Parts: sequence; structure tokens; C-alpha cells
Amino acid sequence: MVAAILAALGAAVAVIVIVAVVFAVRSRTSTPYAGQKKEVRQLDTVGVGSQFAGKPRGGASSDVRVSSDHAPAKKPSEGLKGRFTAVGVFSAAVFGTLAAKLWSMQILSSSMYAAEAQENLYTTVSTPAPRGFICDADGRALVKNRLSLTVLADPDAADDRDVVQRLSAVLGVPANVVRARMKDATGGAQSQRVVASDVRQRDVAFIAEHADAFPGITVDAKRTVRDYPYGALASHVLGYVGSVSAEQLENVAEGSSLESGDDVGQSGIEYRYDRLLAGDHGQRRVIVDAQGNVVDVVSETQAAQGSDVYLTIKGPVQYAVDRALAALVAPKDGTIGTGKGVAAAAVVMDVRDGSIVAMGSYPTYDPSSFVGSVPDDIWELYRTEEAHTPLLNRATDGLYAAASTFKAFSGLAALKHGFADTKRTWDCTGSWDGFDTGAPQKCWLHSGHGVLDFREGIVNSCDVVFYEIAKDFFFAGESQGGSLADTALQDAIMRYRFGEPTGIDLPSESAGRVPTPAWKAEAFRNRPADAKWQGGDLTNLVIGQGDVLVTPLQMAVAYGGIATGRIMRPHLLKEVRNETGDVVLQFEPEVVAEPDVDPAHLAIVRDALHGVVQDSGTLSPLFSVNGIDAAGKTGTAEHADDSGDDAWFACYAPYDDPKYVVVCVVEHGGGGSAVAAPLAAEIMAATMADDAGTGDGVMGRIAGSTGKQVEKLDTAAASGRTD
Amino acid sequence: MALPPQINSVKMPDAAVAEATRPRKASRFNLPFLVVVALLVGYGLLVVWSAVANDPDYRFSRQLSGAAVGAVCMLLLWQVDYRRLGDLWVVFLVVNVALILSPHIPGLGTDAGMGAMSWIKVGIQVQPGEFAKVTVVLLAASLVARYGGQLDQAREYLKVLGVLLIPFLCIMTQPDLGTGLVYLFISAMALIMGGARPKFLLVTLVVGILAIVAVFLVDEFVFKYEKSPGVYEYKLLKNYQRNRLLVFLNPDSDVTSEGWNLKQAQIAIGSGGLFGKGLLNATQSTHGFLPEAPTDFIFCVLAEELGFFGVAALLALYVSLILICFRIASSSNDLFGMLIVMCIVGMWLFQILENIGMTCGLMPITGIPLPFVSYGSSFMVVNFMMLGLIGSVWSHNNASGKKGGYATPH
Repeated sequence: MVAAILAALGAAVAVIVIVAVVFAVRSRTSTPYAGQKKEVRQLDTVGVGSQFAGKPRGGASSDVRVSSDHAPAKKPSEGLKGRFTAVGVFSAAVFGTLAAKLWSMQILSSSMYAAEAQENLYTTVSTPAPRGFICDADGRALVKNRLSLTVLADPDAADDRDVVQRLSAVLGVPANVVRARMKDATGGAQSQRVVASDVRQRDVAFIAEHADAFPGITVDAKRTVRDYPYGALASHVLGYVGSVSAEQLENVAEGSSLESGDDVGQSGIEYRYDRLLAGDHGQRRVIVDAQGNVVDVVSETQAAQGSDVYLTIKGPVQYAVDRALAALVAPKDGTIGTGKGVAAAAVVMDVRDGSIVAMGSYPTYDPSSFVGSVPDDIWELYRTEEAHTPLLNRATDGLYAAASTFKAFSGLAALKHGFADTKRTWDCTGSWDGFDTGAPQKCWLHSGHGVLDFREGIVNSCDVVFYEIAKDFFFAGESQGGSLADTALQDAIMRYRFGEPTGIDLPSESAGRVPTPAWKAEAFRNRPADAKWQGGDLTNLVIGQGDVLVTPLQMAVAYGGIATGRIMRPHLLKEVRNETGDVVLQFEPEVVAEPDVDPAHLAIVRDALHGVVQDSGTLSPLFSVNGIDAAGKTGTAEHADDSGDDAWFACYAPYDDPKYVVVCVVEHGGGGSAVAAPLAAEIMAATMADDAGTGDGVMGRIAGSTGKQVEKLDTAAASGRTD
Repeated sequence: MALPPQINSVKMPDAAVAEATRPRKASRFNLPFLVVVALLVGYGLLVVWSAVANDPDYRFSRQLSGAAVGAVCMLLLWQVDYRRLGDLWVVFLVVNVALILSPHIPGLGTDAGMGAMSWIKVGIQVQPGEFAKVTVVLLAASLVARYGGQLDQAREYLKVLGVLLIPFLCIMTQPDLGTGLVYLFISAMALIMGGARPKFLLVTLVVGILAIVAVFLVDEFVFKYEKSPGVYEYKLLKNYQRNRLLVFLNPDSDVTSEGWNLKQAQIAIGSGGLFGKGLLNATQSTHGFLPEAPTDFIFCVLAEELGFFGVAALLALYVSLILICFRIASSSNDLFGMLIVMCIVGMWLFQILENIGMTCGLMPITGIPLPFVSYGSSFMVVNFMMLGLIGSVWSHNNASGKKGGYATPH
């Protein structure tokens, strides 16, 4: 740039000098030439001029009205030579400067301007790439694509009131919304704006027929949108897609070609594996004019569809799960409250490799609601507490008190530290006040279980047995002068990875909580009186109540740990296939930990869990009817506000050679054995049937939440622990 | 001065005498002058053809007919003895004012969708402000010529200045600052070449600059008002006029589309390179990046399509035309003729400087057409009329034909 300026200056000076020299030479050479002419002219002038007796030029000043008829003796230019020179120099300067400037622009900086002209002219337009499919373990497509008719508007179409009004009438979208979408320049100032996607065929036909009434409006029939053949099936696992947000655009991962206007995964697998599912944009290099109209296409590369993601989910099992949850919670007309509880979740996991076979959460949502743009009322419905947050994946993010399902783990802790063995017995009177507080804690069976051993304690889920164990742990703690750590019970329980994320391949997962003295001190730091760790905290913890929070998925992983002795990392991804169907990525099972548990202790607990199912007159038939030999544990979590208990059931089968673990929770559903166990048994039956290849293989549509519910839930009827 | 040789020449007529006294028929037309004009007009038409070829808003035939009408006007004026017009400055003034104010007549004037009331409709749309350039030239020349090259009394100078400002003030009612500046430049040329005292000219220049500054300051401190929140308007200068100046002073500021226009114009010129992209291949104008390509920004089309060679050729033609005009002016036997030619030279100089200058960022953007090149039949005709006046001055001073001033005894 500096060089160009210097060159321009130099050129200007040079030109001026040249012009000045030319003028100087010219004036010198023209003198004799003019003189010669003058000689001749003077001949006439002398002869003729004398007749007119023109006044000497010097005296003209006194007479300002010099008539042009009075031909002067000399040419006027002679008296004004200096001024001619001045104008001449000025002209030379004008042309010199212009020439120098143009030289600098056209010769010295030409390449820069040429590049800018190219930049003006050529534009690279991206064509969106279809996303990959999401399939279940057997290749059934759970998420597909379909063509969507999209109405597009040129950037300046919004200025035409008539067009906006007509579009509004045809599409049934308010005029102000149409105009706002037309003015939305997030896709680039010169790009066409999406007025409506997924438009009905007849509306598109109308617009096409009356093209002259819709200047600047075009219909794109090549765009694809997500298609969900089974509706809300596994929607919490699959997630939904939406237009990329400004924030996401700013944090584009390296190597991904995310562009404004693209659909990206916003939750679930769609979000987690977005990089794999999203294809490569097609590129069209086009010549555009100043209005952004494409004049010519220079080159074009086709968009490449994204890879297909195969999940470990098994479609029929998932369908059984989603259908069962809906049937349990909202059997009539999709109205919550007509069944048991207000929400429910279920997880089916292959204990051998951590594969998630099914994962359901109710109320659920229909991801197709997010295709195009989600209507405000649907968006509100899916998010609000009142509708029980259908968007929440309760299997991974629902936090519940573990209740008696926890006893398998606190039992293992007791065995580890010798506070329980196969010989020790406890006497349950239905009420226990081991710490002499004067406020006795009750067993769920207020009449008492009488004398029980450890196995009977778990089979009957006797709370008093575990109160005693907690008391032993409490007084064995260092702070009470004992030899064990104060968190010995928690440490033993956390061998099964409670209180930390399982590491499932979903974007969101809650860690849960196993309360410790340190946690309590921190949580109640503003209320020091309540911050002290007390024996009651341990008696709550030991039966999975109080401040214990777990997710159904954590419970499934932990019961898988009991069944196999290994903690597996739960996962949904089975494999990734490229366009040609080749497997490009396969998930390898990952053992997170092998809990340091005495096999003898494990055998005791497994036997006890087996007894929970086999020794119970109500639970045993649920499984045996399908020939399933299951081990499991019920749980009924009480809420302090008496809003109805959460029902739990965790089980695995077959007992001898565990394959699957099923965990169910029903929010405010009532007792574990009465509500959750039948659900779990049904799901386990479907799972085993599919595993054996004897399942019906039926899959159907699952409906999203309607938001309807019974006005006032009669939760009192569901209360009262039964396990 | 060189008096003795006159006596010699009387006594010794030689070949030069024979040459000068020989009756000449062909010399009624100045051949170099006509050649340069023909080349210039042809070149201009070629560029216009290329610029409007793919633009349905413009018609090349209109430009052609403008040139044809202009040529007729030129030939007619060539025959007129300009000296008969010398005393008619009052007539010129009246015609001038009438022409310039004619667009204000209801039913006659139109803004042609361009903002300023610069057009009238009489069957076809014409810009009287362009035609007034002819009368401004004649007015300025005849007015100043009355002083015989010695305009050195302040009173007289102010009188002349006052009269010369009238066309400018009239055109500012449209408003059309560009054309107004052309009038001012014509007037300034008449004053300079008419022998006004350098001191007067200098004072006038300083006062002029101060007046511009004063307009800005008064606008800023007195007439600035908030049209709508955050949007300020001025009464004396329009916002776009301010913007043009601001963009000129700081090209990257890009306050409005003015900066964009300038940028696109420069891209067009610069991307032309040495040899250009070839006729009809100007991507900047054919794809609409260049605003007003065939009219005010036609130079960009030329520069883009024909490169620096084409530009240099155009400049060379302009220089030739102006040099020839210089010769005609300096050989004129009366002040009026010389002033006519120099005023026209001044007009062209200014329009060339401003038009090319604005496209390459040397001058602020103003709508001034490029002589002989820009699309616009009014200005085409005007240029030919100017050529006719120059031809008249030449033929009535140099040619030894029947109408020659010296050959015919009065």
C-alpha cells in the first residue's frame, strides 16, 4: 500500500514535470512560429486596422465598454499569457494526478482489486446435508429423513406487504410471524429465508400456480427433515434436532462444517453423536449479482449424508417399555393420574456388556414436534413442572430416594465389616429407638417382623435389621471412638458407583448423592444446628431414604454389578456405519470397576435377592408365569411431604446366568411390590422374549405427552409402604 | 514588441504571405479538432454501448440520437458568428434563469425519481440545467469580455461576481450541487482568463472556502434537529451530501451506501488491470455491483473493460482536445471568443476531474457526467453545442473564408 502511494506520487510528479517541460518547449518553439504568423497577420492588421484607428490597448481601462467590433491591435491572449500558463499547469496537474492515481490502481494494486471483484462475483453456497439415520440394534430405523417442502423468501420480499399478507393467508401463519422470518438474516444477508418448512402439498401448489402474486417466493422441495416412524418411541434416548443456535455456531468443533441454518442435535443421541450424524455440506460455487441472485453455477459438489448410528436399543423391547410406562401412568386418554403415579422411568441393560436395551421415561415428548420450529404451546408443555417435564429423561436425570433397593448395598457393607453374617439375628418389634432419642423409628411393618436373620431381613425388607446395622456403623466410626472411618458405610456402598455419573453416552446425566458428614456440613453450613452428622442420618441412609439420591440408570448399573461382579459402563452406541453400510466405529464394552467384594458375601446377597422374588407370593408368579428366574428388590421411597411414595423395583435375570437387569421407578406410584414389580416383570418378560427370539417383535407409535392430567391427584390412596 | 519585423514583412512578402492570403475552402473546418472530437465521441459511444447492452433501463439508440441531434446543433452553431452574441449578456441571464427554474413549473418539472427537480418533460425528458451550461458559458464570457481583460476595480468585480452567482443560486433550488459547481467553475474560468486581479480571485477563493465551512458550522449548531430518536437531520445540507463528504474524507467509515458505492467503483477500476476484461465483460456493472454504471460511473465500466490502456487513450483524447482548444483560444482575436473557449475548457476540465476523480476516490461523490462518454442525451447535445461554439470562434478568427473577421472589410 505504501509502495503504491509512493509510486503514485512519483508518477504524479513525473507526469507534471513532463507536462511542464512539454509546455515550456512548446511555448518556446511556438514563439517563432507565432511570430511568423504574426508577421503575416500583421500585414492585414496594419493595412486594415489603421482605417479603424483602434485605441491603444493601454488606454482601454478608461473605457470599459470595448466593443468586440473594435478589433484590438494584438490578440487578447498575449496580455494574458501568464494566465494561460496557469490554466495549462492546472490542466496538466488534473490529468497527471488522474493518470497517476489510475496507474496505481490499475497496475500496482490491480491484483488486490481483482481479488475483491472475484470475491464479489463468486459465492460459495452450502447445501444442507441429510443427517444419518438412527437405528436400533437390529437395524430398524428409529429416526429417518423425509423430504420437506420449504417455502423460501428472497431477502427483500419482506418489504412487499401484499406478499406477506398472501403468504400469511395461504400458510395460516400470522403476518407478523411471516415478516419476522423473512427478516431473519441469521442465514446470511443474501441468503433466502425460510418462511415455513414442512408445508402442505396443496399450499405449495397454490403458490406455484400463482407465482406472479408471490414475487421473490420460492419452494424448495429438496430439503430433508427428521422423520420419526415410531413417534415418541425412545425419544429421550434419541433426542431432537433444531436449528443451530448462535452459541453453538460460535463453538464449532474443529473439522465440523456447521453453518447457520443447519439442524443440529439438541439432546440425546442426536446431540451426543452429532458429528457422526451430520453429513458434509454440498458446496455450490456460484456467480451472484449484487442482489444475490444466482447467475451461474461454476462448480458443485453433492452433499454427503451423515453416518448411520446403530444403537444397542432393541426396538420391540423399547416399544414394550414405552407402552407399559404410558399404560401404567396414563392409561386413559393419555391423562396423567388415571393410572398409577405421575411419572415413571425404566432401564433395561445387558449386564454382560453394559448395553442399554431399552430406556424409557414418562411423560414423554414427540421429537417430530421440533421439526421445523416448535410451537410455543408445545414447548411450554414439554418444559413445565405442571406437565411433569416431558423433556426430562428420568432414567438418567430423575433423582429419587433409593429406598429399600439400597439394602442390597448396605447389606454388603454390613457383611464386609462384620455387622452382619448368616448367623446373626435381629428382633423386629415394628418400632426401633436404638439411639434413645425418644422418637422411635418405625419398620414399614408396624406390627414387627419378629426375629429374623440377615437373609430374612432383606427378603422381608425389614428396616429394624438395617437400623441396627446403621447403629453399629455409627458407633464404630472414629468420631464415636470406634476403629472404622465415619464414612465406612458410604464407602462400601459407593463401590457400586453411586454418587457419580455412570458415563453413559448421553449428553446429560445426574450424579446423584450418597450423603456423608462432610456433605451435610457443607449443605447445612447456614444452619449449624442441623449440620451435625447424627445416627439418624445413617439409619436413613442404610435404607436408602433421607438424603440419598440415585437415578434409575445408576441403580441398573449397580444391580448389574451385583449380578456379575463387574460395573459396566452403560452405553447406547452399538456401531456406526457409513453411507455404504460399512461399520466404521464399534463400541467396545468397558468395565468401569470390579468392586472389591468378598464372593461369599456376594453370594449371600444374591441369594437374598433371589428370595425376595421367589419367596414372595405376589412377586414370584409375576416372573414365573413367563418362566423367568429373577432376583430383585423392591423399594418404596417415602416423601417427607406425604405426596405419595415412589415405587421401585430392580431385578436381574436369569438368576443363574444373569443377562439383563431391569429397573423401574414410578413417581408417587405407591408401593414397590404392588406397582413397580409388575411393571418390571412385564418389561423383563419382553426383554427375555426378544433375547430368545420368541418376542412378537411388534413396534408401534408412541404418543407424546398431551399435558392432560387429573386435576387433583389422589395420592393418599397410593401411600403406605407395602414392602 | 516585435514591431520592426512587421515593416520587413510588408516589404518582403514571402511564401508565408502567399500561404496566409491564399483562399482556403477546406479550412472552414479545423481538421485536427474534428478528428479528436470524432474519436472521442466514437469512443464514448462504444463504452456506452457496452455499458447499456444488458441493461433494459437504458437505450443505446437514445444516446445515438443525442449524438446525432448534437452534431446538427454543432454544425449550426459553427456557422453562427459568435461575435454577434457579445452584447447579449442580459438575454443570456434571463434565458439562464428561465431554463434553470423551469422544472419548478407545475406540470412541467419532474424529478425522474432521482430526488432533485432537474428534469422537464416536453415529449421527452430533458435536463434544462445541462442546457443552461451553454448560456452560463456565454453569459460569463460576454459579461467579463466587456472589461477588455482588465477587471481591476473592486466595484466592477463584485458586480460581475454577483451576476455570475445567479445561475448557481437558481440551480441550488432544485437542488443540484454538481451542476452548480460546474457553473461556478465556468464563472471562475471566465474571471481568471478575463483578467480579474489576482488579489480579487484569491479573496474570492478564501471567502468561498469560509462560506462552506460556515454552512457546515451553522448546520451543526443551529439547524441540527432530531428527526427521530438517534437520527439527526440538517436543514442546509442534506444528509447524503454530508455523508458523501465524510466518506470522501474517510473511505472506510462506510456511513451509508455511499462508501459501498465508492468501494465498488474502485474495485471496478482496479480489477481492470492493464488491458481490461474486454468489452461487455465488466462483471462489476453487469452484475449490478456498480451503481449508476452507464451514467455517473461510466468511467468505471471503461476502466474495467479496457484497462489502463483504455483509460490512457481516453485521457490522451481529452488532453488533445484541450490542447487544441488552448490554441484556438490563444489565437482568438477578441477576448469574448477566447473566453468562450476557455470557459468550455474549464467546464470539461472540471467535469473530467470530478467524474474520474470521484470514481477513484480523489474527489467526493457528486453526480457529474463525464463529457462525451456518460449516458445522457441532454449532456451529449450540450457538449456538441460547446464544440459548435468553439468551431465558431475558430472559423471566425482563423479561417480565411468569407466570414473571416479580417478578410471582410466592414
